[in-house]
Amino acid sequence: MELKENESSVLSENNLPTENHSVNNEVLTVIYRAMAELNVQLSKNQRLEPSLDTALFGESGTLDSMTLANFIVITEQMLEERFGSKIDLTQDDPFSSTTGHFRTVGSLVVYVSDQLQR
Amino acid sequence: MLNLLLSSDFNCETLAQLLRSNAYEPVCAVAVTPYGQGVGALLQTADEVKDFAVIWTMPENVSPSFARALRFEIFSEENLLSEVSDFAEYIKTYAGKFRAVFVISWTSPCYRRGYGMADLGSRGLRTLMLKMNLNLAEKLQGAAGVFLLDAQRWIETVGGTAYSPKLWYLAKAPFHPAVFKEAARDIKAAMNGVMGNSKKLIILDLDNTLWGGTVGDVGWQNVRLGGHDYIGEAFLDFQKNLKALSRRGILLAIVSKNEEEVAIEALTKHPEMILRPNDFVGWKINWRDKAANIVELAAELNLGLQSMVFIDDNPVERARVHEALPEVYVPSWPSDATLFPSSLLQLDCFDAPYVTREDLSRTESYHDEKHREQIRKTFASHEEWLQSLGTEVTVEAVSEANLVRITQLLNKTNQMNLSTRRMTQRELSDWLQSDNRKLWAFRVKDRIGDLGLTGLITVETSKDDAKVCDFVLSCRAFGRYVEQVMVAVAAEYCSSLGLERLIATYIPTAKNKPCLEFWKSSGFQWNQGDSTFSWTLDKDYPYPQAVHVTGLSKDLADSVGALASAREI
Repeated sequence: MELKENESSVLSENNLPTENHSVNNEVLTVIYRAMAELNVQLSKNQRLEPSLDTALFGESGTLDSMTLANFIVITEQMLEERFGSKIDLTQDDPFSSTTGHFRTVGSLVVYVSDQLQR
Repeated sequence: MLNLLLSSDFNCETLAQLLRSNAYEPVCAVAVTPYGQGVGALLQTADEVKDFAVIWTMPENVSPSFARALRFEIFSEENLLSEVSDFAEYIKTYAGKFRAVFVISWTSPCYRRGYGMADLGSRGLRTLMLKMNLNLAEKLQGAAGVFLLDAQRWIETVGGTAYSPKLWYLAKAPFHPAVFKEAARDIKAAMNGVMGNSKKLIILDLDNTLWGGTVGDVGWQNVRLGGHDYIGEAFLDFQKNLKALSRRGILLAIVSKNEEEVAIEALTKHPEMILRPNDFVGWKINWRDKAANIVELAAELNLGLQSMVFIDDNPVERARVHEALPEVYVPSWPSDATLFPSSLLQLDCFDAPYVTREDLSRTESYHDEKHREQIRKTFASHEEWLQSLGTEVTVEAVSEANLVRITQLLNKTNQMNLSTRRMTQRELSDWLQSDNRKLWAFRVKDRIGDLGLTGLITVETSKDDAKVCDFVLSCRAFGRYVEQVMVAVAAEYCSSLGLERLIATYIPTAKNKPCLEFWKSSGFQWNQGDSTFSWTLDKDYPYPQAVHVTGLSKDLADSVGALASAREI
């Protein structure tokens, strides 16, 4: 899954720190790769689309708890491989349907980028 | 659609999803036994028919003694092995409900050091795990339709992240999804093996596939093969691995864009060439389109395209064949020759439940057939040729020694197959339990060579008539009166019971028209309307003069008592 051409501007429109565009882009690329890996086990109508607005978990999300758990493990591994540091995606009440960082791809990018800067 | 039951004592929903998906063929419907019930839930499927079952357990749940060992408590090794044996017996008890059962071997997480430097000592955890798996393998050995799959290979493929503590605590799934992906791939390969879909022939390119360089440009003396050259060594090992596969019954052929004379000279003369012309059952070495060449080769070898694998270093050629001939399996192939040997060994398309004597001599059989064909051209008539061969057919009852081969023949033969019934070994054994059902197997040889066990016929008798349920003959033995011998044996038996008619019903498929042609010429009365062929048993069905038949006996009637689980090689 490649980053779309307009995704950089979309990232800034989603209130992502503009000075960290390159980090955000790389985080998004990793998340798209994780989604592609996850899609192998999903049926056609469950597969995740590479978009910031794609809902992951919660009210509009398509992932069930098992698939989300798999996605967490896959994404954490890919993030560590790319950035060299372990990020725990299960902190900070991740499963909340209103504030959880797995609501959408965009919310996950924001959360991960924030973690990387700490 | 195939049905599969997945039984585990941990959350295996990821594996279930992968098995349901079309990422790997065949697609199947998957039912998962309720979590927490594990293998015991097999009892609940008593009335449900499933094609396959997968049983994946954690060793400490199967063996309380192993659980004690993990806690470094006192335990009895005798009890531990006894618990494994009980588990194996339980599986064998219920395995009859399925075409095949795949039991997954036990593994340990790499982070479990156990006794560290002493862990491979007599009481070490690694040693216990090895003994448990070995005991399980031994107890399941010979159980019809039960196969132990090696999970260790999946763990090693994924590496250090194979076990996922995070997933265990989140979802009670001990493994990273990548392990389940490897498992799904292997389970589907095993299913294909059981169903007779394993590949039979590898078609190989030459330049930069079997050796480095273009032989037409550099000459056979200068191709990179062997020697003190790392690329040459890689090609050498690739050839060695191909030769090893051919010893298992996988055939080799060549499709290459080259001058045939130049290519054959290289195969014949290069001192380090492992594969010689005689290792190949056929070749098309010319400048024509490779897909067209493959189609011709398939016709000459009488093999279906779906049984073939095409390996070529050139991605353009691979894409061309894949597009033109989607039935041919074209694996993605590395550009780095040092990866050729391992890439070949990784292919799962040759997985088969058994290797038979006929498999081991398959290449030789093809060469024998070519020799027969060459001799045939020297005779004025087909009859004279057949007489010259001195064909001998030996009739056998089904037994422990031939049941594996009989099952293989039943499941893999397409052209000379009357009803194309497919059955597992266990299903066939169960079917033959009835007193009114018989099977005869036919072994064929001539002065050129031994074709092995190549034919079978089954009949089911009723009050007045007998029905031919299966009539199967390997294409190697077509048109040599073996067909008539098979019919004559069945007719003679049915006549001895005082029955009135022997009836065969032809069930058409895309591939078995040759079978229809035989029955139309068999002398049987053909009723085109219901596609049946019948013989009135008040007259003898004649044995063909050109064939010497041995092994005939009225005692062939009782094949039931001789059945047992067949030995696997």
